[in-house]
Amino acid sequence: MNHLDALESEAIYILREVAGQFKNPVLLFSGGKDSTLLIHLALKAFYPLPLPFAVMHIDTGHNFEEALTFRDELVKKYNLRLIVRKVEDTIRLKNLEEPGGKFPSRNALQSYTLLDAISEFQFDAIIGGGRRDEEKARAKERIFSVRDSSGAWLPHNQRPELWDLYNGHISAGEQIRVFPISNWSELDVWQYIRREKIELPSLYFAHERTCIRFNSRLVAMSDYIVPDAEDVIITTSVRYRTVGDMTCTAAVQSTAQTIEEVIDEIEQSALSERGETRMDDQISDAGMEDRKLKGYF
Amino acid sequence: MDVLRFITAGSIDDGKSTLIGRLLLDTGNIKSDILESVKEDNDDVNLAFITDGLRAERQAGITIDVAYKYFTTPNRKFIITDAPGHFQYTKNLVTGASGVDAMIILIDATIGISSQTRRHSMVASFLGIRNIVVAINKMDVSGYDQSVYNSIKNSYSEIAIRLNLDQVTYIPISALKGDNVTRHSYHMPWYTGPALLQFLEACKPEIKADDGRLSVTVQYVAGNNIFGRLVSGTIKRGQNVVVYPGRITSIVKEIINNYIIVEEAFTGHDICVQLELQGTLMRGATITGIGEGPEYSNEFEADLCWLDELSEVVLNRDYILRIGANEVVSQVKEIISKRYIETLGYSNDQKSVSVNEFARVIIHTSSNIAYDNYSQVHETGRGILIDITTNNTSGALIIR
Repeated sequence: MNHLDALESEAIYILREVAGQFKNPVLLFSGGKDSTLLIHLALKAFYPLPLPFAVMHIDTGHNFEEALTFRDELVKKYNLRLIVRKVEDTIRLKNLEEPGGKFPSRNALQSYTLLDAISEFQFDAIIGGGRRDEEKARAKERIFSVRDSSGAWLPHNQRPELWDLYNGHISAGEQIRVFPISNWSELDVWQYIRREKIELPSLYFAHERTCIRFNSRLVAMSDYIVPDAEDVIITTSVRYRTVGDMTCTAAVQSTAQTIEEVIDEIEQSALSERGETRMDDQISDAGMEDRKLKGYF
Repeated sequence: MDVLRFITAGSIDDGKSTLIGRLLLDTGNIKSDILESVKEDNDDVNLAFITDGLRAERQAGITIDVAYKYFTTPNRKFIITDAPGHFQYTKNLVTGASGVDAMIILIDATIGISSQTRRHSMVASFLGIRNIVVAINKMDVSGYDQSVYNSIKNSYSEIAIRLNLDQVTYIPISALKGDNVTRHSYHMPWYTGPALLQFLEACKPEIKADDGRLSVTVQYVAGNNIFGRLVSGTIKRGQNVVVYPGRITSIVKEIINNYIIVEEAFTGHDICVQLELQGTLMRGATITGIGEGPEYSNEFEADLCWLDELSEVVLNRDYILRIGANEVVSQVKEIISKRYIETLGYSNDQKSVSVNEFARVIIHTSSNIAYDNYSQVHETGRGILIDITTNNTSGALIIR
């Protein structure tokens, strides 16, 4: 079986398991390529019916405009039920401290909003686009990952997970995070997007953008970051390899305007996907592991 | 490009993580920022750090849970499971080894066969893994000596016979130095077999034949739409089928695969079907062909591997048995025999099975359940036992 067919089949099987096993699942959707891929896989999994669950965006308020527009267009096109919960509201309600500094990322605060939304809607399964090849803590996580009542991942005590027998039994207050595209690499995602002609936000293709150069990374100018007087501001042709917050996602210099060109570029890149673009992983050797312990995806 | 899944198993310090690091590095699948992050103070690359994902693992220098890694060559995508070596984590090894096409068992040439080697081989035998590679590692430290290789090969072949592992390939390697990993080693001209990567590229994944017995695992039902996977055989529109539980006869009205209404679908397809059926069909049902099985009863014999460190098997206690998407209340009625790692022999005087142990048992179910012998249809010939109180996946079953 062709590798894309095998990966697609695995993901469809997992999505159907979620619909079959849980009362109230939700799919996390940010407008990025991985969660967009998830929506397309779910549309295929449940055709001819509409998606049997809502999609939810945990909105940090530091979005790329293009991603938000794309999100709303996709929701409209496929008649999806969209829930939006804002980190801003959580900060106000919980009296949390706004992050400061040059790149004030609300990335870590997202976990609070996510956990509040899970408890507000009583979600029992939360589907996300995490992939094992992205990061070393993610490489360890099960497809059905049990989270305790505080949303924490218990990496030393994960349930056995055999074959395709995903065990969704949980006690009250617990939840399961589900990762249908665990086994996909960045290239697999792009090859599948090409094959299935899936539309993505324009951010993923080369465009002119004004950025500051920081630690050899290009960070887009926006109202959310605080440049210093000595920062070098340049306008150049870039694209995004991942789309997260404007405060913690770096652009890559690129002239790739088509999927073919993007694929060529990724194949030739000397750097990993998150390594090249994510400033939040660079904090420590165990940045992702620490965030997951606190309920992060 | 197709997919091959394989697992590496070995004891602590046999060099598993180093081997995976070596495979990724030598096939050009490690990006430079990742490589930088696994350099030690003296600038040497610590290949093992590439797979150890958790802080505790890097601190202790051991693998606790399964890590998944990926690499591609021009013809194949490989999914590697790096599984822990320590016996305490055998349950994690079983998790990682379920569903793989091949297992690489690492043996330290300076130590030889260990209790862990037998344990890993037992897991391979239990799960019915077809392709086994015995990678005799650290040949560099053993002077690339053919007699070391031969001696381990001879000892292992006895284990292979006792465990019915009939396709074993022996490869002398040095994961650290790269000998016989991605290319043939000039240090060992006496070895004429494939290098490990060559073997993996040629290895046949488990092919599911379309001419098998028809079996659809029903995962989700909404109105008349039945969503599930055709795990075996071929299904045609207009065909007569039998639905379990209940053994009800029906006809296939419509099949949808990949957004299209089709006349027939084949093994591995994730389909949506409609049947001409009275009454409601539920998740967990199995759709089969007329007059070709499966077994349908409330009692069967199976091999059990216990995965729960908090409890032992309690006879006649209720567990949830899951086969495919079907769940029924069940009990372990009898422990027929237990199999011991040290001797690979059987004993019939044991009354309990604890974590990381293997036994032949009789399972009783509260209502009739459809199943197959594992050798006939894998998906309906294997299952798990779920603890009703803790919800843990406590046991793995293979129906023999």
